[in-house]
Order: sequence, then C-alpha cells, then structure tokens
Amino acid sequence: MKDKLLIILLIYLSIGFSCRNTSRKSGDFFFPENDAIPLEEAEKLSAEAIADISRNIASPVEMANLLLMLDVPFSSSYLASSIDPNKRATANEKALALGILGADLGYLNMYGMTGTSVNMLSSIKKLSEEISVGQFFDFETIKRLSLNKNDLDSLLFLSIDSYTQIDEYLRNNDRGHLSALMIIGVWLEGQYLATQVVNEYPDPILRDRIGEQKIILNDLMLLAAPYCNRDPQFGNVCDYLEEIKSAFRGVNITFTMGDPISEEVNGALVVTQTETSEVEMTDQQLEEIIAVTKKVRDKLISDD
Amino acid sequence: MTSMKKILFILMVACSSCMLVNAQSQDPLVSSCVMNIGDGAKYLKDFKVQLGKGTDTGELRYKERMSLWKNTKYRFTMCNDANSQGQLIITIKDENNSVVLSSYDEKSGKIYSSIDFVCNRSGIYQICYDFYRGEAGLGIGVVSMVRK
Repeated sequence: MKDKLLIILLIYLSIGFSCRNTSRKSGDFFFPENDAIPLEEAEKLSAEAIADISRNIASPVEMANLLLMLDVPFSSSYLASSIDPNKRATANEKALALGILGADLGYLNMYGMTGTSVNMLSSIKKLSEEISVGQFFDFETIKRLSLNKNDLDSLLFLSIDSYTQIDEYLRNNDRGHLSALMIIGVWLEGQYLATQVVNEYPDPILRDRIGEQKIILNDLMLLAAPYCNRDPQFGNVCDYLEEIKSAFRGVNITFTMGDPISEEVNGALVVTQTETSEVEMTDQQLEEIIAVTKKVRDKLISDD
Repeated sequence: MTSMKKILFILMVACSSCMLVNAQSQDPLVSSCVMNIGDGAKYLKDFKVQLGKGTDTGELRYKERMSLWKNTKYRFTMCNDANSQGQLIITIKDENNSVVLSSYDEKSGKIYSSIDFVCNRSGIYQICYDFYRGEAGLGIGVVSMVRK
C-alpha cells in the first residue's frame, strides 16, 4: 500500500514538474523575403520556426511607444472598449480579443493611463481564465502597479512578460492556433492604432512605420497558415489577413547600404546605423491600408 | 497508514502551492536585469541564455529573430547570473548576415554590458548571444527602447 502511495506521489510530482515552462531554445531558421509563400510550404513549418516567428512579432507596445515619442496625444477613442468578454463564445474569439486588448493595455500603460487599464484588466482576466491561461497574469500585482503610477516600468514589464508566457505556454501545449490568434490580435490592434493616428497626425515617421509592416506581414501569414483550414472562424481571419496583404502589395521598401558607426559614450557603446530603409507608398496606398485595417479590426471586435 | 495518507496529502498541497507560485512569479535574474536597463528605457523583451561549454569558434550559439524598426533607439543590456562562468556577449546581424554590432570589441578586448543601437533600417535581424570564448553560463539579454 505504501508503495502504491509512493507511486501516486511520484506521478503527481512528475506531472507537476513537466507542466513547468521549459526555457527558450535557440533557433536559426530563415524565411525567404518573397511575399508569396505557398500555403503547403507554410504548413510544414517546424514548431521551432513558428516559435521564432511568434517571438519576433509579439510586442504589444512598440507602436504605442512610437506614438508617445512623436508626442501624439492619447485618445481613448482608439481603444477596443466595446469588446465584451461575455459575448466571446469560442476559444478562437477569446484568444483574438486577448491579443487586441493586450495591445490596448500596452497603449494605456505606455501613456500612463492606468486608471482605464484597470477596467481593461478585468476583461483580460476573464478572457485569459476562460482559455486556461489566467495563471500567467499576476492580476493583483498588475492592478496594484496600475493604481500606483510611480512604477510604470514594472507594470509594462509584467504586462508584456505575461503575454510572452501565455504565447509560449499555448504553443508548447498544442494550442498554437490560439497563440497565433493572440499575436494577430496584438499586431492588428497596433496597426489600427497607427493608421487611425496617421489620419489625424500625418507624421512621416508614422507613415513609414505603417508601410514597413509589410516586412512583418509575411511572417504573420506564415504563422496563421497552418491553421487556416482548421475551422471557419480561423479561415475568416486568414481571409482578412489576405485582404490586408493585398493592400500592401504596391508598397516598396528600398535600402541604402552603409557601415555602422560605433562610439563610446560614458562607458557605454553607441552604434548608429548608416544603412537606411525607405518606404515608397502613395497616399492612395496608405488610404487603402487605413481602410482595410479599420474594416478588419471593426469586424473582429464586433460581437456579431 | 492514516499518518502516511496525511503526509501524502500535505505533500500534494505543498507541491500544488509551489507550482502555482512558480507559474506566477518572475525570474529574479530577469527582474534584476530589467531594473538595470536605465532611466527612460522601455522594456521590450528578454532572452534567457543558458549554454554549456562550447568551442571558441566565434560563431555565437543562441540565436533569435527580431524585427527592429527605423527611427528607434534600442538598448541591449546583458546581465550574468552570479554563478555564471562566462560573460554574456551579443552580436546582431542583418538579413544579409552582416554584423551590425557586437558587444565584444576585438581590438580592445573590451566587453560592453550595454549597447545603444540607433536603427535606421527596418528589418528582421538575427540577435545572437553566447558567453565569451564559448564558456558555459547563464545570462539575460534585455531589449528596451530609449528616446532618441
């Protein structure tokens, strides 16, 4: 009997430890720059390659940081406040909404609008718990940091880190489709934010950043491709990405070569890149990108 | 027998608590490294690098892809675990496999624990980490953004 109890204990312990996150592995997979990767090729991507793409794309704060740097004022009208977690029926819808709200949370935190972020946190909490990833959010700490504006850096770190952990957990537990949807949500909302702002503040740096998303869009499609035939909902998301990709087709990105310049400033190394990239995008192309981004994003946040 | 069951129950509860805490806590090495990225730097992501002893071929073993955007100043901060044998170094390569920056200066032999990179070409870069001379080690690479 004692032996049986011991075996039960060992099994329990082994399950417990095997559920822990494994450390991130390295990878050196490269994708061709061609923007027409066949679906069947994308479906053969290894888990490691998908992980590489996911880790590269998932950043809910970069676009918000750019807006802050450009002194663009905050506006709550850009937020996807209409998302009602109670009306998100499927895991797909929940994961997508989690990504969209993650980007909004990054925007709020970046601008120090932590009072509003507390409300958003409750939606994120509900959505994450319903797809069994709530354990990666330390909601109490995040909420406490949100209410105490003095520690915005820790708040940003904790929020981003939580999303990174969720992404890894989903991929490592055969729910890569939900990870992909979450990442698509993060990216789409960031792009929505930028395209809405550029309408009001037509800054050339922001305009370029929107056009430069062509670089990452191919990776995003590779990430989604293995799941496009999984179910009709995911299929719709893939169709939407195709629509967005079409709007980028005429955008050109050119490069000018140059050697980086290094200098030591106060003991730290500063490297300035002289190689540059230039975006060639007409006003009409930008208008098309703005329109399709809004159309897709509005569809994905609606409860219908 | 009853006492054995009690012990088992206590152990299971204790282990459950440990697992729960583990899932929710942050890696202290990451946290301490993030605390040292400097005032005004906004955390973007971190890479935990744990490698055994390798060979000193110059090819860095830990590789990740990362998109870096024009008109952005990035800061790459490297931190080593107190028990790490090696010192973490970084090299960044562009899509043409050309080295854009390295925290190890071959001429002076100096290893920088922080590098600011003013990015003027948007693209997907390869972020490579290793420990100096292929030593074994544990370290954290943090990427943050700073105002230009």
